[in-house]
Amino acid sequence: MIDEMRDLAGRIVGQLRYRSVDYGDARVENTDLESLTYRKQRLAESDFQASHGVGIRVLVNGCWGFASCSGFDSDLVEKTVDRAVSVARAGAGVMEGSVRLSEEVPSIGHYDGPCERNPFEIPRSEKLDLLARAADIIHASPLINMSWSNLRFERKRRAFSNTEGSLVSSDLVFSMPTIMAYAVLGDDMQNRGFQEGARIAGWEWIEQADMIFWAEKCREEAIMKVKAPESPSGVMDLVLDGTHLSLTMHESVGHPTESDRVLGWEASMAGRTFLNIDDQEKLKYGSEIVNFVADNTMPYGVASWGWDDDGVPGQKWYTVRDGIFQQFGSVRETALLVNRKNSRGCCRAMDFASFPINRQPNFYLEPGKEPITPDDLISEVNKGVYIEGRGSFSIDQRRVNFQFGGDMFWEIRNGKKVQPLKKVIYRSKTRDFWGSCDGIADDRSFKTMGLLTCGKGEPMQGARMTHGASTSRFRNIEVGRGAE
Amino acid sequence: MTRDELLEVIEAVLEKAEVPDVVATLTENRDAAVRFGQNRITQNMDTFERKLRITLGDGERKTVYSTHRIDTDAIPEILATAMDMLKTASPDPEYMPPVPAGQVYPVIDAWDSLTADADPASRTQAAARAINTAKKNGMEAAGLVGMSYENTAIGTSTGNLAYHRSTDAYMRLTLDRGKPSSFRFLSAEAWDDLPVDDAIREVAVEVESDENQMELEPGEYRLILEPQAACDLIPYIAWSMNARPADEGLTVFSGRQGEMVTGGNFTMTSEVNGTLKGTPFNEEGFASGDVTWIENGRLVNQPCTRYWAAKTGREPLFIPGTLALEGDSGSIGDLIGSTPGRALLFRRFWYIRFVDQKELSLTGMTRDGVFLVEDGKVVHPVTDFRWNWKPLELFSRIEKLGAPERKGQLSVPPMIIGPTAL
Repeated sequence: MIDEMRDLAGRIVGQLRYRSVDYGDARVENTDLESLTYRKQRLAESDFQASHGVGIRVLVNGCWGFASCSGFDSDLVEKTVDRAVSVARAGAGVMEGSVRLSEEVPSIGHYDGPCERNPFEIPRSEKLDLLARAADIIHASPLINMSWSNLRFERKRRAFSNTEGSLVSSDLVFSMPTIMAYAVLGDDMQNRGFQEGARIAGWEWIEQADMIFWAEKCREEAIMKVKAPESPSGVMDLVLDGTHLSLTMHESVGHPTESDRVLGWEASMAGRTFLNIDDQEKLKYGSEIVNFVADNTMPYGVASWGWDDDGVPGQKWYTVRDGIFQQFGSVRETALLVNRKNSRGCCRAMDFASFPINRQPNFYLEPGKEPITPDDLISEVNKGVYIEGRGSFSIDQRRVNFQFGGDMFWEIRNGKKVQPLKKVIYRSKTRDFWGSCDGIADDRSFKTMGLLTCGKGEPMQGARMTHGASTSRFRNIEVGRGAE
Repeated sequence: MTRDELLEVIEAVLEKAEVPDVVATLTENRDAAVRFGQNRITQNMDTFERKLRITLGDGERKTVYSTHRIDTDAIPEILATAMDMLKTASPDPEYMPPVPAGQVYPVIDAWDSLTADADPASRTQAAARAINTAKKNGMEAAGLVGMSYENTAIGTSTGNLAYHRSTDAYMRLTLDRGKPSSFRFLSAEAWDDLPVDDAIREVAVEVESDENQMELEPGEYRLILEPQAACDLIPYIAWSMNARPADEGLTVFSGRQGEMVTGGNFTMTSEVNGTLKGTPFNEEGFASGDVTWIENGRLVNQPCTRYWAAKTGREPLFIPGTLALEGDSGSIGDLIGSTPGRALLFRRFWYIRFVDQKELSLTGMTRDGVFLVEDGKVVHPVTDFRWNWKPLELFSRIEKLGAPERKGQLSVPPMIIGPTAL
């Protein structure tokens, strides 16, 4: 199938050359998606989506035109080529074009994502049996009123070609287990879920994630939470595990360092950033131990696609090094505008029907180099909270003022975790928060979270990326309940 | 495809399926839009998609299969794949057959041919006018201008067959000059009904008035919500209203049907063919209708699946794509002028998230304009700030409502909410 898709992408690019566009590219995609969902102890959804289509992007006099169609029907594809050229010309007729792409070496190749056991070849009975067993374990307590358990598998085959000579393709399998247990006691409800999300991997990720273990853990910790006292209030220290930090860093580091935000291209929707173009390699973003590494070659990372939707290969670089902001994640269209010669390969579309935009790469907080455990970090906290997993999250449109919850909370007193808590939120400002980081555990506590649904753009597109961190400590953060 | 061609595919699926229970939906969607930012056009798009969705059931199990393969020759192969899935599904203790025959679908006129034609010049020129206005005023323009249509045909093995088509024209516009900014969202079935030039001119004036923002002093203020700000809070109420999670103790509405959940001047309905145009059926082929959800503050109806309705004796109901709050008369200007004492005027909220689903407590930020109002006059703009509120509590303290305005598929009035500690 990949060969046929590459051929089709090449043929479309041939048509674009014939129409004398300044630049053109074609994305040909074929996606199979299987989703099995248990609501409580019942198979509530058994869905399969088979999707295929073409997205075509052209430049005419510095103006973009993009058109897409579902299906590979040759007449429809040819009309789609015409529509792409037509809308580009409509733009060029009204506004002076300004698009300048960074010069990149054309790529030719194919990339297979890691997948040891193709989940589409695993008998469905095995998948349903796993979900049923997990659901039975979750509902072993009468305090659990509700649960969701889901297995989601997606095989995305994509081919890209452009008028500069690139022809690349990839074959990626995404696997994601989900568990969420809800405990109800009196007037309160609390939930707890599996937190590591998706990977580019096969059935082996489902086995490694161990849904049976998590089913029991989620049940017990949801019950623990619903019986727990509410959050203390005041300024105190936080110790945050990697699955929790995955979201804090996504919102307060990943989004502000997208190049399209500093240019104002998201001003009407996702927002801008507090960063300026001149802040690169100068601005203090966090404490000296804070290093963020962007890595679209990261094994199992859900943004590791081989090449992005500009045809630029995956790369690895420092976003923040020794606490100093280094550079924006960019695409070919933004690289020159943020004073970089080349793209960082962050151009991705949700699907063939979406215009590719600047997205976050996979990135992680570099683990500490000294042998430090989470318990070591906790032992030096007199008053604080330890948080695992993601909860409520909100940040302003310039990515400064944020408020986060979590999924599991423990009160820390005199260097020890003393009791579970519920309804904990904390508030801070991006640079204050990362500036207060005074401890990062070594890679033994490193955890990743693969996100498939980061919303951005208009029309809204969901994108995928993986974040990782070891457990880390932050001093003097405002903690409290949301309504306070 | 024409209406008849869409229905022909649906009938072929129903005819060739070898199980008793079938629901088939074929949707054709075109969306053409121009996106702009930094006073330049950043995207110019024209997307087209056809999707077939088939639900198969054998009386015990069910499965859903969707595909972009749309031709009658491929249907046996598509059905064979879906049948393989069905055979391996687990029996469903909540199995429901398709909706019974005789569904009466409302006829909804939501189509505008000119909008469906999606002329690229109209939307590109609208974006250019916004950009030129921004340049002339030392501002930056960002936003989206678009036109779309959707044609949907649906059929059930119980004998229902229906078709619906709709168009949508929209503009989302932000103008800013650094921190001072303003925003407008326009939508209608017809492109010609969008007051594009008025909006561009008004938003530019509003940016000027947002200059010289000052920090908010803590204290007690009345809250004046422009329609967009009120609109931003409503979906969180709607998402929490479903009957089953409420009955299972998971939401703020648990055990509260028939009770007062807001103040007596709060009424929320869904309409299918009024100012707002809803959908005549849901994905099951179940016919829609007008519904009142909260009437004068009392929770009178909750969305409810057919299974849960049969189990609990409720009426099966769904939100047909629209929500409307009843209002009164008067513009936002009238409301501001009538506000006694000290108040804050909000244009829009941003990044609203649940803090606690069971409490329906939310957090979010202000965006694109907050203003101090004293004795009915706007005094100065205020810097954006974070809030943590419970919307049902806010809507229990509405002092005055203005005339509703359409915001997408919502119709919401401006409102004054009583003194609130900030």
